[in-house]
Amino acid sequence: MLPNWINMLSWWQWAVLAAIPPAIVALYFLKLKRTPLEVPSTYLWHKSIEDLHVNSIWQRLRKNLLLFLQLLLIGLVMLAVLRPSWQSGSLSGDRFIFLIDHSASMSATDVQPSRLAEAKRQVLALVDRMKSGDRAMVISFAETAQVVQEFTDNRRQLRERVESIRPAHGTTSLAPALRLAAGLANPGSTATDATDIQVAEALPAELMIFSDGRFGPVDGFALGNLRPTYVPIGDPQATNLAITAFSTRRQETGQRQVYGQLQNDGPKPVAAEVELYVDGQLDNADAVEIAPGEAEGLIFPLPEMSDGVVRLNLSTSDALALDNQAYATVNQARRGQVLVVTPGNEALRLALRTTAASQVADVELVEPAYLESEAYQAQATAGHLDLIIFDQCAPQETMPAANTLLLGRLPGERWGEVRKKSTPGIIDVDRAHPLLQLVDLTNIDIAESMVLAPPAGSTTLVESDAGPLVAIGPRDGFEDLVVGFEIYGQSDTGERYVNTNWPLRASFPTFVLGVLQYFCGQAEFDAIRSVKPGQPVRLTGVAEAKRLEVVGPDGARDRVSRGKNHRFTFTATGQIGVYTVYHGPQITERFAVNLFDRTESNLATRPEQAIQIGYVEVAGKTDWEPTRRETWKLLVLLALGVLVLEWYIYNRRVYI
Amino acid sequence: MAKALASSNRQQTMNNTPPRASASPSTLHPQPSTALMRRLERLELVTRKVFRGRMKGERRSSRKGQSVEFADFRNYTPGDDLRFIDWNLYARLDRLFLKLFLEEEDLHFYTLIDASGSMGFGQPSKLDYAKQLAAALGFIGLVRADRVKIETLGTAAQANPTFRGRQNAWRMFDYLDAIRPTETTSLATGIKNFCLRNSGRGVVVLITDLMDKQGYQAALRYLLSGRQDVYVIQTLSSEELQPELQGDLRLVDCEDADEAEITVSAPLLKRYQQTLNAFVDEAREFCTRRGMSYVLVDNQLPVETLVADYLRRRGLVR
Repeated sequence: MLPNWINMLSWWQWAVLAAIPPAIVALYFLKLKRTPLEVPSTYLWHKSIEDLHVNSIWQRLRKNLLLFLQLLLIGLVMLAVLRPSWQSGSLSGDRFIFLIDHSASMSATDVQPSRLAEAKRQVLALVDRMKSGDRAMVISFAETAQVVQEFTDNRRQLRERVESIRPAHGTTSLAPALRLAAGLANPGSTATDATDIQVAEALPAELMIFSDGRFGPVDGFALGNLRPTYVPIGDPQATNLAITAFSTRRQETGQRQVYGQLQNDGPKPVAAEVELYVDGQLDNADAVEIAPGEAEGLIFPLPEMSDGVVRLNLSTSDALALDNQAYATVNQARRGQVLVVTPGNEALRLALRTTAASQVADVELVEPAYLESEAYQAQATAGHLDLIIFDQCAPQETMPAANTLLLGRLPGERWGEVRKKSTPGIIDVDRAHPLLQLVDLTNIDIAESMVLAPPAGSTTLVESDAGPLVAIGPRDGFEDLVVGFEIYGQSDTGERYVNTNWPLRASFPTFVLGVLQYFCGQAEFDAIRSVKPGQPVRLTGVAEAKRLEVVGPDGARDRVSRGKNHRFTFTATGQIGVYTVYHGPQITERFAVNLFDRTESNLATRPEQAIQIGYVEVAGKTDWEPTRRETWKLLVLLALGVLVLEWYIYNRRVYI
Repeated sequence: MAKALASSNRQQTMNNTPPRASASPSTLHPQPSTALMRRLERLELVTRKVFRGRMKGERRSSRKGQSVEFADFRNYTPGDDLRFIDWNLYARLDRLFLKLFLEEEDLHFYTLIDASGSMGFGQPSKLDYAKQLAAALGFIGLVRADRVKIETLGTAAQANPTFRGRQNAWRMFDYLDAIRPTETTSLATGIKNFCLRNSGRGVVVLITDLMDKQGYQAALRYLLSGRQDVYVIQTLSSEELQPELQGDLRLVDCEDADEAEITVSAPLLKRYQQTLNAFVDEAREFCTRRGMSYVLVDNQLPVETLVADYLRRRGLVR
């Protein structure tokens, strides 16, 4: 390691400095001016000097030793003025936060052994360079951020904790990690509350981000006391062919097909063989060659199967192996479960019995009296009904754990005060909403309708001249679709009357089908679902199940209990692969976790490109350069020591 | 002429004005203090040899003469002093005998002071010290009716008074007081001249620093030839015994302006001490072998102590 030099002097100052050593030597060449002193007799002195002449070489050397010391002194001063420093050395700052990206792209092997290992190696090297008493904290981040190690000055512990970071399969999100770091460096202060006393002292810290930069700018974040440094990890020329999409889909003809998309983000064209495995058996294969920056779609026919696992395998040796495999699951087709509570509604019954509607869901018709039964209570709380339609009756005090469609009734008090409006004129229909696609409401008449006051978060679907007539609003993870008018009304005298001519129009069964598809379509979608790593999965489960067991791709078993909404939500989807859900010994469903992230799959780091944190642009530091270890102080001390030594030798007549 | 030349030489050295190793601002009057004089009165100078004096003194002489102490008889020979004929014997034996008495004579006490420039150093200067010593010893001699003669090495032949009798003590002190360290006569020449001038035997006390570049051995041999009882008192100043010098110096010899360039260092000082010790040992050896008494004195040693203690032990005084 060669020292760095900083020139502190201009050329003429150097000239003056350079003139000193010759001056010293010249002074030594000049005859020493001796102080004359009269003594009684030089007799004995002469004799003594004669004796010493035997040792004259030592005498000369003694004089020269002073010369050497003086030259050494001026040399040291010159060296000190040059300010030599070494690149090694301790880090500047005393508090460090190491943010280590361990997302999927960090598993890339374009730097050996992997990007994460490289990041860990660099962090460990920095930990080794920490001065005694320096404190550091380690945060790993992928989709979320975890504090791997709190602030500590225990370097051994830091090393162990850094080593313990395992690659994750998730996407990258820097913001949570920054918030974690900022929470420790910038303690919150509320400017509005005068009584708020800031208890923790704001401590500045060096924030070091070790990542491949596969994330977008972080908006709305103020660094405050954090001094960020971005260390890009990875080879900008890394090649990677990735599967960015893979799913199974049933065609109109009923034939299942597999769709896949391959993306080449590397700088070179890549040829690869694509193999399709169905339940572990090679089913199909293809050879592809993809130009750089291009994507290519793949379609394979899939044999008829009730359930199973489909795997797409890319046989190529690229940097990132995680996105060379994609999984899709085919679950047993599950039909929607719909409960219709109605005293009798021929139009609705007919609309639910169309061919298309009966393919989507199983419909059960019950009388309003059923609402009082225990069977209903069980159904309402079990949460496996996809939709309950309330016609001419209202649900009880507590809404059931299911989506609801209410005709002329309100789902509880949250929907606010309503007023009646006779013959409302429809002026606007939200046709972009999936419920009202292809539904034409221009030619229907309504005798009387409620004008709705939907709660916050609701979407008004049909707007009349008086106000909303149809709206859909959220409720604890479910949705309530409220149609403000009844199809069959009942007068105060008990007579039934037709409230609207909508059932006579073609739009009514279309709307009912849309409702079934909207609320029960999730079941169909569930059959082929795939999520990204880290995303939660809603498990369908079975009605009577209290607890499900999920076996991950690595064989790890997790137990899932019913949550607040009587639903099973599984969150530990960190691994890429197929997860199997068991109820007892029975497989209830499978789901796949795939990377499918172009940002993660694109391994090309851009070292010259800065990452944007709030309004601060943090330039990538490809050439990691720790602080200079200055040596001029040492040299000046050394020069002082030489000076003292010289003075001692001169004054104390040191014999050499 | 030589003196003038020497003094001009001296002037030159002075004009260069090298600082002196140790200045002696004023010359002390050599007169001993009253208390010392009282002590000195009780002492007397001793010689290991019995010499003939010139005048009657308080000292027994080998010469028979007039005194109360009977020595012997001898036959009368014509021309003898009739006063010494023992008439009682002549009456009894009818033969003439002379009565011989032991003659008590005075002692020749010479003090030879080196008054060269080098003696002017020290605090008190070596010359002052020498003068004090000479005064003390001379006073003892005067009290005991010895012939006290004080000379410097460069003294002209005619100007050397001899003091005798206590009443001459003041004269002697004044004479000593006038001595200045300005002489340039070498040790050998000075002693040679002294020996030529003073044939009388006696005690010679040589007070010098022996710092003569031509060597002191030849000079001391002159004293030996005179068969005198010689005391060599080498007076050195403490500056010479333990020089406290520092730095790079050009040492100038005050006598011949000889220069020695030294860089004072611990080894040099050590070497100087060795040389000095060797020099002193050599002088002591030289003197002891030739029956001379050698005493090395530091100018810091009180004269009283020297006389009453050191020289008493050496047998010069009693």
